[in-house]
Amino acid sequence: MATSDVPIFSMLRNRMRWHQDRQKLLAENVANSETPGYRARDLVAPNFDSMLRGGVRAAASAGASTGVGPVRTDPGHIGAIGSTVQNRFEVRRNTGLVATPDGNRVNLEDEMLKVAQNQMDYQAVAGLYQRSLGMIRTAIGKKA
Amino acid sequence: MSEDFLKSIRIAAGGMRAQAGRMRVSAENIANANSTAATPGGDPYRRKIPTFRTTFDRELQATTVQLGPVRQDQSEFRTRYDPNHPAADPRGYVKVPNVNSLVESMDLREAQRSYEANLNVVTSTRRMIQRTIELLRS
Repeated sequence: MATSDVPIFSMLRNRMRWHQDRQKLLAENVANSETPGYRARDLVAPNFDSMLRGGVRAAASAGASTGVGPVRTDPGHIGAIGSTVQNRFEVRRNTGLVATPDGNRVNLEDEMLKVAQNQMDYQAVAGLYQRSLGMIRTAIGKKA
Repeated sequence: MSEDFLKSIRIAAGGMRAQAGRMRVSAENIANANSTAATPGGDPYRRKIPTFRTTFDRELQATTVQLGPVRQDQSEFRTRYDPNHPAADPRGYVKVPNVNSLVESMDLREAQRSYEANLNVVTSTRRMIQRTIELLRS
């Protein structure tokens, strides 16, 4: 049994991946903060409801707890390892009204705020991951 | 797993490089704000304008920024009456560069601000990588 078989780990990993992808997009925005015509982009925050529904459906069809991830509706489908990895997150273009005369739509202050928030959230998720590992360690009888 | 983080750092580093190039051009302009021609009636130093260009980096799968071609400011030169100057035309006027030091210093300030923003992204990403590595400890 790998750690990815435990739902909480795969969920946390998915979330960490989301933060990674978001950090990359934010870096692009900041780097292009003065490129004419560039529009800021951001990732759509994962929707808890839809993810939960997807997870429950997957669990019902597979007869096991697969957590959050793509649904296997056909036995011919090849499941990803742990079958919970979501590779692509939805990207949204910023449609804010503020644009400089050269058509740039990056607000540097906004981006800095998002970078800081992304970092904090990532650290929170990493902390949760560590805690969960600690619980497993306790379960197998090691002192945490 | 930290591949993506390294990509973020590289994108931000590209932005820093572009801003540094812009600062270099501004520095050239300021340094040459008084460079007149050597021959009578000749053209003095012409102000340079840095341009930015978005490029899609296939390796990083991201849009990075690059310093585009450095253009020249085509605005008119100002003239100054100084008949004893070696570059003065027969009427006694000297053409001086079309550099406005106020504009240049604002440009420098803006480049600095953007540079710091990119640096901020690098610092933040580095912390996230560090946090990931800390998972291995404990």
